[in-house]
Order: sequence, then C-alpha cells, then structure tokens
Amino acid sequence: MRKFTGMFFLLLFTAPTIFGGGYQVGLHGAKNIGMGLIGTSLSDDASAYFYNPAGGVFIKDRFSFCGGGTLLMARTTYQASDMAYQTSIDPGISTPFYFYAAFKPFEDLSIGLAVNTPYGNKIVWGDDWKGRYLIQDISFKAITIQPSFSYRFNDVFSAGIGMVMTNGNVELNKAIPVDGEEEEGQLNISGSAYNVGVNVGVMVRPFKGMSLGLDYRSKINMFVDDGDAVFTVPASLQTSFPPNNQVSVSLPLPANLDFGASYQINDKWMVGLNLCYVFWSTYDSLTFGFATTTSVVKETTTPTLYKDHLITRIGAQYQLNDRITLRAGAYYDPSPVSDDYLHPQTPSLDEIGLTCGLSVVPVKNLSIDLSFLFLKGFEREGTYLPDNFSGKYKTNVYAPGIGLTYSF
Amino acid sequence: MKKIFFLFISLAFLASCDPEIDEFKAAPGNADFTRFIVVGHSIPAGYANGALYTSGQENSVSNILSKQLMTVGASALIQPMVTSEYGVYSGKRKLGYTTNCAGVTSLGVVPDEGPLEALAPVGYSVTNLSVPGLKSWHALFPHMGDFDYLAYGAANPYYCRFATNPANRLIDEIPPLDPTFFLLWLGDNDILSYATSGAESDSITPVALFRQAMEAIVQTLTANGAKGVISTVTDVTTSPFFTTIPYNGLVLTQGQADSINIAMTMFGLPFRYIAGANPFLISDPASTHPYFKVRQMTPGEIVLLTVPQDSLRCAGWGILNPNTYMPTPIPDQYILTEDEVAEIQSATTQYNAIIRELASTYGLAVVDMDQRLKELKSGMMWDGVTLSTTFVTGGVFSCDGIHLTPRGNAMAANFIIDAINNYYGSVIPHANTNSYPGLVYP
Repeated sequence: MRKFTGMFFLLLFTAPTIFGGGYQVGLHGAKNIGMGLIGTSLSDDASAYFYNPAGGVFIKDRFSFCGGGTLLMARTTYQASDMAYQTSIDPGISTPFYFYAAFKPFEDLSIGLAVNTPYGNKIVWGDDWKGRYLIQDISFKAITIQPSFSYRFNDVFSAGIGMVMTNGNVELNKAIPVDGEEEEGQLNISGSAYNVGVNVGVMVRPFKGMSLGLDYRSKINMFVDDGDAVFTVPASLQTSFPPNNQVSVSLPLPANLDFGASYQINDKWMVGLNLCYVFWSTYDSLTFGFATTTSVVKETTTPTLYKDHLITRIGAQYQLNDRITLRAGAYYDPSPVSDDYLHPQTPSLDEIGLTCGLSVVPVKNLSIDLSFLFLKGFEREGTYLPDNFSGKYKTNVYAPGIGLTYSF
Repeated sequence: MKKIFFLFISLAFLASCDPEIDEFKAAPGNADFTRFIVVGHSIPAGYANGALYTSGQENSVSNILSKQLMTVGASALIQPMVTSEYGVYSGKRKLGYTTNCAGVTSLGVVPDEGPLEALAPVGYSVTNLSVPGLKSWHALFPHMGDFDYLAYGAANPYYCRFATNPANRLIDEIPPLDPTFFLLWLGDNDILSYATSGAESDSITPVALFRQAMEAIVQTLTANGAKGVISTVTDVTTSPFFTTIPYNGLVLTQGQADSINIAMTMFGLPFRYIAGANPFLISDPASTHPYFKVRQMTPGEIVLLTVPQDSLRCAGWGILNPNTYMPTPIPDQYILTEDEVAEIQSATTQYNAIIRELASTYGLAVVDMDQRLKELKSGMMWDGVTLSTTFVTGGVFSCDGIHLTPRGNAMAANFIIDAINNYYGSVIPHANTNSYPGLVYP
C-alpha cells in the first residue's frame, strides 16, 4: 500500500477545486462535460467506464482511449453578515484530469480502466482573514484507479463492474486564537488515506436509438489514521499544544446513484437527461482525534449535517457534419448543506451549470474534444452555528477543458 | 476553426470576474453621529494591563466604537494620547514566567517595565473624556483636573492631562464639544474602588449622590439635544479580579488534612478538612471562640486576584502558619465576605435601576453591559473563538483582571453597537473582533 501511495505522488496531479454541492467534482470527460454531464446512458467511448461500466461493452470500436483535463478556475466572494468585511478568494486554478481505456477481447466482453479525480476541494481564504480560526486553507485531493469489465447479455442488456481504488490527500491550515509576541498560533494538518469502493452499473437499449443506464458508485471512507498535526504556538503554551502531534480523521466520499436516459432522434440529434442522487447524509461530521491530548488539544467533532440531494442534468448533441459535433447542456445542483451549517471550508451553494462543447475529427479515429463549463453558485447567506460564523457567499466557476479520443 | 478556438480563449478570460455581493450598507437611523464624544472611566479611556498606554488607547472600546460610527458620519475620536507604551505610572503588567516559593516556574503575570511618559498636559482638546479612576460625582467636582490639587489628592492626574481649564469640572468640557451623540459608561468605580480594597478602604458612593451626579452628567450631555447610549454598571462577580481564586482554593492531601484536623481539634475549632478542595480560613470578629476569631469561607465569598499567591502556598495563609502552626486567616483586604458582596450587589442593582430610569427619561439607549458580561461567563462564540470572562484564557480581560484586551474591547463595542442599532434603528457594522488581539503569551 505504501508503494501504491508513492506511485500516486509521482503522477503530480493537482487538485480539483471547490465544486458542486460538496467536494464532489464532475469533470471527467470533455464530451460529457459539453453536454451537461449526462453520461450514465452513453457508450460513445472509454469514458463510459467511469460514468457507467455497463456501457463499456457497447462501445463500437474494439479499442478506445480517452485522455484530457480541465482548467478549473473558481472564484468565491464572502461578505460578512454584520460588518463591512468582504473578501474574494484568489482564483484557485486546478486541473482535474482523466484517462480511460477500453478493449473488447470478445464481442460480448469488454475490459477497461478509468483513472480520474472525482473528489476534491481546494480553497484558500488566507492567513489573516476573519474566519481564520475556522479555516485558512484546505486542499483535499482524491485520485481513483478503476479496473473494470462489462458484459453484454444481448443487444438490449449489459452490465459492468469496476473496483474503485482511491488514494486521498488532505492538508489544512487554521489559526489558533493565542497571540504570541511575533505571531498567532497555527495548526497544520496533513495526511493521506487509501480505500477501495465499487462502481457497478447496468445499461438497457430497449429499441433503436434509446439507451437507459443505472449506475451505483459506493461510498468510500477516507480514513487518515496517522496524519501529522503540527501546532505552532508561543513557547509558554507548548506543553498545552504539543508541537508534533498525530491526528486521525475520517472523510467519507459519498455514494452516488445515477440514472440516465438518452435518445438518438436521428442522424444528427441526440438528447439525454441524468438524475444523480448523492448520498451526502453520510457526511454528518468531521472528527479529529489527536494521539497526544491535553486540556486544550482534544478530540474535536465538527458537525456538518449534509443531506442527500438530487442533481438534475439535461444535454444534447448535434452532429454538424462528418468532422464537427456540437454539444450543450445544463444542470441544477442544490446544496446538501443547511443554512445553519454553511462552513467556509466548503461554502456549498445551490448551483446551475451551463456547458457547451464540440468535437473535431481531424483524421480518422481521432477526435479532439473541447468543452466549457460555467457554473454559477447562487448568493446565499448562512451561519456555521457551532462557530457562530455567518456571511454571504457567492461563487463563479469557469472550466475550459480539452480531451483526445482515439478509437479503432 | 480559428473562431471557435478564439471563443474558448475569450471564455477563459471571463474567469477574471469576481462574483459580486452587495457590500454592507451602514445607515444612521434616527441619530446624528456627527460629533461623537465619550464620558467614562478607565475602560472607555483605554486603560488595560494596569496602565494607560498608547496601544491600549488605540484599542479602547471608545476608539473601536468610533471607527464603526465613522461609517455613519462620525468624525474620528480624539483621545488624550499617552506617548509611552508603558503608561504614565508604573504598574503595567504582562504575561511572563514567575517562580513561586516552592521553586516552580510557570506562566504568570509579571511587571511590564519601560520608559514612562512624564505627567503633563496633552495640549489639545479631546472628545474621549474618559478618565481612569473617575467616579460619577468626580465629574461635578471643580479643580478635578488641576495639577495644583494633585498633591492634596483632590484631582485626577489623568484628567489633569486634558483639562482645558484647571478650575473646570469634567462636565464643563462637554458643552464646547457640542456633541450630537455620546457614550456614557460611568459608575463602576463608585463601587469598584471599594470592592478592590476588600471593602477595607474607600466607600460605595451613596445611591442618592450617584443619582444626582449621573443626572447632572446626562443633562449636560443632552442639553443641546444630543442622543446617546448609557452602559449599566457591571457586577463584580463577572470580572476575573473577583472570580479567579475560588473560596475553596485550599487543596490538600489526605495526610495534610489529617494533621490539620488534629490541630483544629486541639484548638477547639469546629473546622474539618478533607483531601481535595477546602475553604480558606478568614477572620471572623463575630466568632465565639475565646482567641481564634476565624471561620471558613462560604461559597458566595470572594478572594481577590491581588492576594499574594506565595503567602497562600508557603506562608499558610487561609489555614495554618507552617512554622507556628497557628490558624492564619487571609487578611481582610483580600476578601469580600458575604455581607460585603451583598452590599456591593445591592448598590449595583440600585445604580442600574437609576441608569435605566435616566435613559428612559432622557430618551437614551441602554447597553446592558452587566447582563452581557454575565452571559459571557459561560463563554460566547464569535467567529470561531470562544470568548469568556475566565482570567487569561478567556481572551477578554487583560492582565489586571478588570480591564479588557483589545479583543474584549471590540466585543464590548459590538454590544454597544447592538444597543444603538436596536434603539435608534441604525445599521452600524460590528467591529471585526478577530482583527484585534487578545493577551500576548511569551
């Protein structure tokens, strides 16, 4: 497992940024992004192995490879409820990426591999901001590798399954309200975790042009059991805050149940929709347990009280000619967080995503896929009650993406 | 194709737009804050850590409040600034390391020494008329700011620094300033000077005199139609000066308790001791014992923060002298007995009734600092920080246990802002408590 972790570090990925309802990121294929992330019933290329492994076997070609990434730029503004205090966060640029491969050794069986970054959160509020005792910055990144296969029972029905191996890294900083002669107290927490989940789906094609998909990705518990907790405090307080402590924390990656339907109306038009139910209620608190405890450093539980929610997505694709395909989509992603638990660590807002994209086929078998996502997080006023921290938040996300698909 | 790529690049540039949220909109409501003045005692003067010094004044509750009032038209507060960071008189304290009689070194309160400012007139007129040590009736006393009267103890040196005329009463400073809005936070010293002496010196201002003085001050302040906010007087049981050392702070082992019990039995004293916390001994003139006029403290009684800790720990104060084995009560000057506490609290209650009555008569807002500090006893969460009245770790009270830290002052300013907003329908932004420091640890 150590070796496995080390391998991930070599990949030099950067974190997806603050996104969506919580810390789940949806950018896993330029084609899909272009049409509103409606992939659960689609089987155009190897990205199916992420959206619904059952689609792998319905890919036309024997070999299919996709790779790409997104430039994700998020800007969030905070305005305090009770004072003239406003801050806009420096645009955190991050680059979620993906790589998918599918291969059909037999007509009815396909094997595939999906590598991507489906969960992440990065937010940097700054060292001196008003909410620094809640959070200064956090970076959470998870990368998954999913070997999978799918089997076609007949022309109508297929099923697929993948093992989701996930490696996560978290680092966060917060200030501690003790003043020294030089600087304020500080806590830095970092750690990593590995766990495995499952991605299982079925796909049904009841008649020509119609495709239905149902996919379930299980909850994965990211348990950091030997993270580092580094306290920096004035010398006179070091017995109360042991400088080099160990910390354990468990962050659940919620299960997803996705239903998708798409219909190829004619040679040119395809339309689809997706309903994505995210089992966010599993994230009801975040508990930090310290190896060395004192009168002031003790187990802390931060209630989060997330609720399950449903994301609704629609999208369409139009084939302009042999070389160019155009796409557009939209989705609504309501916040899983109540107004009383809105925390600057994950300022979750009700969001509308608008997407567009196109594919260009310069040479046979190769497709260059471009996508653009604009996501608007509606202004929301909330309080994180346990810390009595309130304010208004608003977010804009811009995410141009590019990918390549090669199938033969 | 080129057009399409160009479009994508243009879209990427959109990312430089910040999501916009309307800024906080301040509004004065039914009050005119143009000329804001403060009349008060040491806390609104900016006294902290046992001294009046530069950064203490910069972070005074008055100055923090004034900055917030500037969003609704107030001009900047003018304070009689002390140029030294150590004050006019020695006595400033800070957190440091102390070694006790048992040779144990720990975090404690130590002198904070440096060059003092010589006592002299500041040479300009001020709008923060707060004076450390000022009692209500002092404001009506002529020559209270006269250097020539200092030697007789009939003047207040802090008022001398900014008196515009030596013969003035403090209230004579008010009319020339033509205030439109004021903060009046006075009266605590009318009780506090008595309380901090362990009820051994000074005296509580008679209620009738307090009423007369406060009414005269309010009349002067409101003479030209000014509006304002008055603070209630705070109960002594809220500040760490009175709450830090428990009445039963005598911690014994079973062996110690046993040997003390033998002595007590021999002396014919009825007090018995157990392993753990025990009440201190204090003097009791009403005792029927032929020669040991002592008794144990009761839960409502108070040991002052100024009691010498080493005398408690090594000289047997509050129990038996380790050399003579004689019962050794804590001296009265460090103790408030039940009767004294009752007397103090009764005065506080009566003062506050008068303050509310005056506010009602003259149409002024009341900030119930007494009530708010009582709520603070169990801790209050502000933007991720729990502030409380606990000494040192509570973050609100400075090293003297009576005056506030900058963060405590910001919190008090927010209480005042709440009272103003509530009464005058104004929308004044809170001060950001997290931008003001608490106590500084070594």
